Amino acid sequence: MNTLEVKNIKKTFKLSRKQRKLDKTDEKYKVAVNDLSFTAYPGEIFGLLGPNGAGKTTCLRTISTLIKPDEGDIFVGGSSVITDSFEVRSKIGFLTSELKLEDHFTPNYLFTYFSRLHGILEEDIEKNRNELFKRFGIDEFMEVKVGDLSSGMKQKTSIAISLVHNPNFIIFDEPTNGLDVLTARSVTDYLIDLKNQGKTVILSTHILSVVEKLCNRVGIIINGKMKVNDTIENVKNSHPSKDLEELFFDLVKEEEEGVLL
Amino acid sequence: MRNVLTVFKKEFYRVITDKRLIFTAILLPGLAIYVMYSLMGNAIGNEVEDISSHKMIIYTENMPDDLHDAIVDGTTPVEFHDLSDITVDDVKDKIYAGDIDLLIVFPEDFETVLDGYQDVDYVIPSVSVYYNPSEKYSENSYYVVTSFLGNYGYSINLDRHGDDLTIFNTSLEKVFDENKESARGFAMLLPMLIIMFLFSGAMSIGPDSIAGEKERGTIATLLVTPIKRGELAIGKVLSLSVISLMSATSSFIGIMFSLPNLMGSSGEMSNGIYGIKEYVLIFLVLLATVLVIVGLISMISAYAKNIKEASMLILPLYFVSIIVAVSSMFSGEASSSLVTYVIPIYSSINMLVSILMFETVPLHLIVMIASSLVYVAILIFIINKLFQSEKVMFSK
Ligand SMILES: Nc1ncnc2c1ncn2[C@@H]1O[C@H](COP(=O)(O)OP(=O)(O)OP(=O)(O)O)[C@@H](O)[C@H]1O
Ligand SMILES: [Mg+2]
Repeated sequence: MNTLEVKNIKKTFKLSRKQRKLDKTDEKYKVAVNDLSFTAYPGEIFGLLGPNGAGKTTCLRTISTLIKPDEGDIFVGGSSVITDSFEVRSKIGFLTSELKLEDHFTPNYLFTYFSRLHGILEEDIEKNRNELFKRFGIDEFMEVKVGDLSSGMKQKTSIAISLVHNPNFIIFDEPTNGLDVLTARSVTDYLIDLKNQGKTVILSTHILSVVEKLCNRVGIIINGKMKVNDTIENVKNSHPSKDLEELFFDLVKEEEEGVLL
Repeated sequence: MRNVLTVFKKEFYRVITDKRLIFTAILLPGLAIYVMYSLMGNAIGNEVEDISSHKMIIYTENMPDDLHDAIVDGTTPVEFHDLSDITVDDVKDKIYAGDIDLLIVFPEDFETVLDGYQDVDYVIPSVSVYYNPSEKYSENSYYVVTSFLGNYGYSINLDRHGDDLTIFNTSLEKVFDENKESARGFAMLLPMLIIMFLFSGAMSIGPDSIAGEKERGTIATLLVTPIKRGELAIGKVLSLSVISLMSATSSFIGIMFSLPNLMGSSGEMSNGIYGIKEYVLIFLVLLATVLVIVGLISMISAYAKNIKEASMLILPLYFVSIIVAVSSMFSGEASSSLVTYVIPIYSSINMLVSILMFETVPLHLIVMIASSLVYVAILIFIINKLFQSEKVMFSK
């Protein structure tokens, strides 16, 4: 029951004049996600791989009910993001990319705050906190203000806070972006932990090695369209002559030429 | 409701555990007003004292002894010199430079000339006075000397014509309510200051508390929790209101303590004229006003992309409010039209004026508070809609 099904979602944004200038385009609309479908399973990590502006964030925000798809629907453990958004919210833990927690607060305070907003009972808050903070080594720093933490500690705190309600679906947008190797490693180790606990994990990245080492399935998304959607083994087997990196470059080139034609 | 409280507590905690914010948003407004007004009051007081204790330096020629003695006996200290070893032109130069305050020149044998007033070929003599109106001491000397000169002329007339010169006697009696006088002073000054400080409190924390969530990306973390958007809106508006109210109270206390210093020199104002009733009414009006102002600022902050844009968009609203406050400050009395009391901010100012003038109309107060509550409800509804709008929350 803990599968996550993305079914033919489409999302179009109206571009502001300023944005049209920035993107050097005359088009009034941008199709950020175009007829995208995939399924993520419990006990697996699904990697959404794509270059900048491919539509990864748009896709993950749609799964998290922050934005609504123009077409299609997403079912999170059976609940529709369109009709049962409140239920979906209680099932998912969402980490937005480049999240900056408020400097003034301590990890401890923020953990309690978001736990309460999720409606967690006080005694469970304590238990969850001990577990998560210990796992990430935040327990020593939990009374230090976020502003005084290292960027690695900040990111670990952000992750802990997105998981206060022990959700079954984990949606992380570029969780290792800007982290040093060691911290990135502890984050990916934790994602593997979550997978082994039977959770359904989806993450986005533009780093190929993360996908190769971590993910069971990969969706390569380019210009809003899903180009490849399969298990890592199948992808490797069906293109025996290429490694993932070459495949990725070829797909991007192919798409660019297609757009130019 | 529990979520409202959670959000409220967090936003409140944010400010009251931050020494810098406590100082700048809450203590500073009151302290700044107190220091500023007290200094201004002292400066005005010193100025008045300084002029009246300054020794007038007056050069004279042929001055009648009676007039000379009268001025010396007056309250303003004086130092007379005659023109024996200095020319009129040199004295004028020195008056210009501010070294001499005044020169007064009478014709030769002035008193003898005056005595011949019944002669056929009598020519009315001229007295020349030189002073410098751009020098405060010189200007004051001019007022002092000319008033003595007037009296001197009057006494000569009495000698010539006797009592039949007096056409009528005037008797003066000041009939006025001293409290009313103070009240008018407060009614002119306070409402504008209060509006300014209600704004400054809310402006210093509102953008960070709401637009800041977008800038930092924490809005996504908040909006994926199962909390209702309305609860988020109410929690934020309430905590901002309480903090702004604290800031306004501090300003208010600063004003009340410093006004006697400011007005003390003229001795016309005392803050002892208001009782508990007025303070309670003022507090009610402040409460209603702060909710409206914070609602407006929160709405703008929810709409803006980031803190900077929010602060920019709030400025026009701030200026309009100040202009409204200033315009009613000059009218000096509260509007009697009921419509006034449904116009946000304008209603608050008129209400404050009427309370400070002891002329509160209960109906006006009720209309003002009720309409403010309606506006706040509408604003919270709009903020709720803004939080729900993905275009506003996740624009690029
Ligand atoms: N709110 C918005 N309004 C207008 N255009 C948008 C909006 N959000 C995204 N876009 C556009 O949609 C496209 C996809 O953006 P998206 O952020 O989903 O890409 P991404 O794959 O996450 O890229 P990145 O690696 O840079 O994070 C981009 O062209 C972007 O400019
Ligand atoms: Mg992105």
